Amino acid sequence: MEITALSQPTVAAQLRALWIIAKKDWKVFWRYPLNAVSHVFQPIIWVTPVYFMGKAFSTNGQALGFAQYSGTGDYMSYVLLGTALSNFILTVFWGMGFALKEDMDAGVLESNWLTPVSRLHILVGRTLTSLLTTTITSLIMLAVSALLFGFRPTGNVVAAILTAIPMLIGLYGFGFAFAGIVLLMREANTLVDVSSFLVQGFSGANFPVKSLPYWLIPVSLMLPLTYGFDAVRGFLLKTSTLFPLNVEVTILIVFMFVMLWFGAWIFNRIERKVRTLGTLGQH
Amino acid sequence: MEATLSPQSLGKPGLASDLRAFWAIVNREWTIFKRYPSWIIALLIWPLIFPMMYILTARALSGVDGSGMTVFTQTTGATNYIGYIVIGTTVWMWQNIVLWDVGFALRNEQMRGTLESNWLSPTWRFSYLLGHTGPQIITMTTFILITAVEFGLIFGVRLNGNPWLALLIMLASIPAIYGLGFAFASIVITAKEAHTFVFLVRGLVMIFCGITFPVSLLPGWMQSIAEWMPQTYMIHGMRSAAFANASFADLLPDLKALLLFGAFWLTLGYLLFNWMERRARQTGAIGQY
Repeated sequence: MEITALSQPTVAAQLRALWIIAKKDWKVFWRYPLNAVSHVFQPIIWVTPVYFMGKAFSTNGQALGFAQYSGTGDYMSYVLLGTALSNFILTVFWGMGFALKEDMDAGVLESNWLTPVSRLHILVGRTLTSLLTTTITSLIMLAVSALLFGFRPTGNVVAAILTAIPMLIGLYGFGFAFAGIVLLMREANTLVDVSSFLVQGFSGANFPVKSLPYWLIPVSLMLPLTYGFDAVRGFLLKTSTLFPLNVEVTILIVFMFVMLWFGAWIFNRIERKVRTLGTLGQH
Repeated sequence: MEATLSPQSLGKPGLASDLRAFWAIVNREWTIFKRYPSWIIALLIWPLIFPMMYILTARALSGVDGSGMTVFTQTTGATNYIGYIVIGTTVWMWQNIVLWDVGFALRNEQMRGTLESNWLSPTWRFSYLLGHTGPQIITMTTFILITAVEFGLIFGVRLNGNPWLALLIMLASIPAIYGLGFAFASIVITAKEAHTFVFLVRGLVMIFCGITFPVSLLPGWMQSIAEWMPQTYMIHGMRSAAFANASFADLLPDLKALLLFGAFWLTLGYLLFNWMERRARQTGAIGQY
């Protein structure tokens, strides 16, 4: 006997589901308005110690030592751009892995799982609102930081944005794989915090990877995000890059396709295992 | 004939039952803590990676020829920049973890829907917060020990001072750090937007207390704010004790400030808890989130 689901989801139905998830997250986000303020000021708070530390290393406001590695003595523009990009990285990590944990704790994960919506779509849906709010808050953050610390992009803004797009899409692959691990481990905070912190750190969010100890440089070069940070800065701040810009952009495009496929594969495998074990609703 | 009936609680709380309740909460927290083994990763990795990101930034700022480091040494007087940063960031992490653990103790109960039922039990309610503090102090001690071992082994950081005096500064800091956590827990449960409050408090520590730089680099008005924060004295005291060979007399101003702040925050924490408890019963809002 063939069992047919009562609902036959179409592309339009999947898109409606994405819209509903995003709308729900939008409502929840604005229910706690202080969070929006926090999104703007939190990154500024994080870079403030770097600003004052940089002053302790600078002569007449120029970090000459920093310029030897990066090609620019304007270390704050370098760090602020890295921070803005990191906001998006965090959004994908938090948006998927942590959203699953939230659903587990609230006891709605199993019921969401029973709906005839692709599980990967549920994950993507949880990032849509965050991406929008991150874009808004990051732009405000850069504007406020420009007043406080100075932010001087002198290069090609369009090329920098176009470079960031394949990097962000590739990050979804990371996010899928990561969400699978959260399903299995049933704990998100440590996993999300540690992995996103390490990935950002070793990709050069706050410093040029050339300054890393020699034994850490291979780790950095293995992370595709390194090329994302490097290329975006190369376009926008005209810093010296690890490889020619066209090579770095090609790496990012390859990374996007490979990670999307690999991340979805990992997630689907783990998700099936969790359903087999019957541990989906446990937390 | 009219009969009067005075309602009597079935529970008869006393000192022994309060201690039993306290112990039960310590036990429960320890059980929950062990249930999520990823804490082992957190305990081993965070002491290393959080300071390391600032250390690597400092390395980049010092340049290929180390010219930036010469400027840093002249500005701060610190010859060991790794130890200098590790102490500042460890104090920040300590306060941050206390805010999340102790500060969220009641909020987590509220989110799980168990706060109201716990509140109905005939126990001393402050023991809910104290019970959270016990396992927290144990894990934080382990955390600080791991930090010392990791940076000693991997980065070769060696103390140039008296470790017992550094320990004394840490002990003197406990009342201020946990008192702030108690006060925070009460505010969070009333205001409900807990994350934002953690970000605010830890942000203030990060900006004003000189975790990676000397407070003297701050503009005057920021230095005035730093003087009103206990973490400034913790960081200064620990750096002096561990790396500048400071004597007990040198550390006395920091110790006095820390004890005064400790008395203030513990008292405020207790008063705020009582206020919150009374308010929660009056408004009936304890179970709302």
